[in-house]
Amino acid sequence: MMWRGPLLLRLAWRNVRRQARRSALTAAAMVVGLALLVMSRSIADGAHDEWIAAGVRLGSGHLAVQAPDFRTRHAIEQHLSADDRAAVEAVLADSAVAPHLAAVAPRLEITALASAPAAAVPVAVIGVDPAREPAFSEMDQRVVEGRYLEPGDHLQAFVGVELATRLRLRLGDRLVLTASGPDGTISDQLVRVVGTFRTAIPEVDQGLIHIPLPTAQAWLGVDGVTTIAVLLDRSWDTDRWVARLRHALASRADRVVVLSWRAASPELDAAVRMDDYGDYVFHGILFVIIALAIVNTVLMSVLYRTREFGVIRALGLRRRDTAMLVMIEGLILTGISGLVGLLLGLAVTWGFFHDGLDLTALMGDQMTAAGAVIDPVFVPQFRVIQLVQSAVSVIIIGIVASLYPAWRATRIDMAEAMKFEA
Amino acid sequence: MSDSPAAAVRTDAVWKIFEHDGIAVEAVRGVTMSVAPGEFVVLAGPSGSGKTTLLNLFGGLTRPTRGRVWIAEQEISDISERRLAQIRLERLGFVFQAYNLLPVLTARENAEFSLLLRGTPEAERRQRVTALFERIGIAGLEDRRPGKLSGGQQQRVAVARAVVGEPALVLADEPTANLDSASSDALLEVMVQLNQELGTTFVFATHDTRLMERAKRLIHLVDGAVASDTRR
Repeated sequence: MMWRGPLLLRLAWRNVRRQARRSALTAAAMVVGLALLVMSRSIADGAHDEWIAAGVRLGSGHLAVQAPDFRTRHAIEQHLSADDRAAVEAVLADSAVAPHLAAVAPRLEITALASAPAAAVPVAVIGVDPAREPAFSEMDQRVVEGRYLEPGDHLQAFVGVELATRLRLRLGDRLVLTASGPDGTISDQLVRVVGTFRTAIPEVDQGLIHIPLPTAQAWLGVDGVTTIAVLLDRSWDTDRWVARLRHALASRADRVVVLSWRAASPELDAAVRMDDYGDYVFHGILFVIIALAIVNTVLMSVLYRTREFGVIRALGLRRRDTAMLVMIEGLILTGISGLVGLLLGLAVTWGFFHDGLDLTALMGDQMTAAGAVIDPVFVPQFRVIQLVQSAVSVIIIGIVASLYPAWRATRIDMAEAMKFEA
Repeated sequence: MSDSPAAAVRTDAVWKIFEHDGIAVEAVRGVTMSVAPGEFVVLAGPSGSGKTTLLNLFGGLTRPTRGRVWIAEQEISDISERRLAQIRLERLGFVFQAYNLLPVLTARENAEFSLLLRGTPEAERRQRVTALFERIGIAGLEDRRPGKLSGGQQQRVAVARAVVGEPALVLADEPTANLDSASSDALLEVMVQLNQELGTTFVFATHDTRLMERAKRLIHLVDGAVASDTRR
């Protein structure tokens, strides 16, 4: 069967050019729509990354290495032994892995009772490595009074500002932490307030205390940690690194699990997914509007050229080729305007927002969402996969939007078409 | 009725009935006829007599309600749309009242359209179109778009498009209706010349008396049926 692609392409291209004004109007709608799509996606991706980064910094990282049942039971007896911790740290220190990690923080997480002369309240105590923790949670940047923990500290405690207020604690005041160890023995630990912090998340500011990891281990007689929290340099690489670390730690799979932030922080995952769905709906509406513009232009073009379609069918063009001609016209229209729209979107986003979209005026200096404090300046992110997805979406729109006009073109009655007056 | 096996087109008791608002309109009523290769036939008759519908049935542009139609002995009454398109491409040429050239193509591209669809090599296409344009008096207009041609020139290009593939039959529906008398005469001369020199078979549907006068065979249709069939 004769390949008529070049002829159809030539006809389609000239037909698109022939209706230049109509094509340009439709193309303009698509260009604006796609530029908006690129802008909104890149800013949304940047915001999500900021959100995830903020969430995982206050949580257990992009990756959390834990004992199998710790996430569900949160009991101190579900901890990684010193040997397992050493094995995990060795994997993370590997030269092929370490460059992709932004921070690694070993932690011993304890549910405790904090007692001061004024009151006693349940709290979450985290034993941290003062040398490594600041790079992870950036708690040293949230100091309200005093300072963050430092290497060499022993009985110092860094306390949420709301908790300190509730317990009427000042810098230098003492408080007693009470918790049960892995064997069920209840133990006390005296600590002294060295600093207070504010995260803007009430449940954190009202109930979190950082103490040095060795102090926490000695207090409860634990030689390991409950979590080794890992921050990646790129959040969207999480799944790949989860798989890679699981593979590397496969021999310890009965004692060591690697969780992504989605599993370790389901509430953050749910919030990000909900936001994603909102974006999908917006993008879907945008796609439908673009598709309708294409359908309108291509269909009008087909109806306007009823007689011509009748003629070319009479001259021997098959239905399939007739449909292909219309599809190519639609694809040319979407392809060109899609490309221009993508480039325009990139240029505008970069030109106006390369320093970030600043929502401070609307949101204040800090905004919280799903347990994370987010910087209200969203820096757009451009990703190849995002551009590829947008380009593929454009092609799909072009194909889908041209289907009905193409079908209509094949249904034109040749004899009737000859009577048609445009 | 002719049963000539070599007929360019032949029909057997062919009917075409249209439905309009639930009312059946018999546009063609039981026509049986045959056109031999090389004939120059005119279908004449008043408006509504069924000329154009019969021409459309010959060309496979519409399907008969009843009866059968053959093009060069290939029955086309109930073949697939795909096969019918192939037959139109290889065996038929069309000239329409309103020229119906594709405005986005040049005169040459319009004329060679069927050759392009057939996949004829460029050199052969060029040679055929050039020779044909020379023959029908429009040499030098090859690169013009239809909008830059007069009505007479456009219709000559349409004739060139119809005959360039050397079809078994050229069907022309009121080809001179939109032309002034000088252009009509010139076009008529071209078609007579093609018929005489190349043996191209023409069937016209027309009101044009000058065309009727040049016809070798004049078929009068009345109310969708053949009223007379005169050979000269």
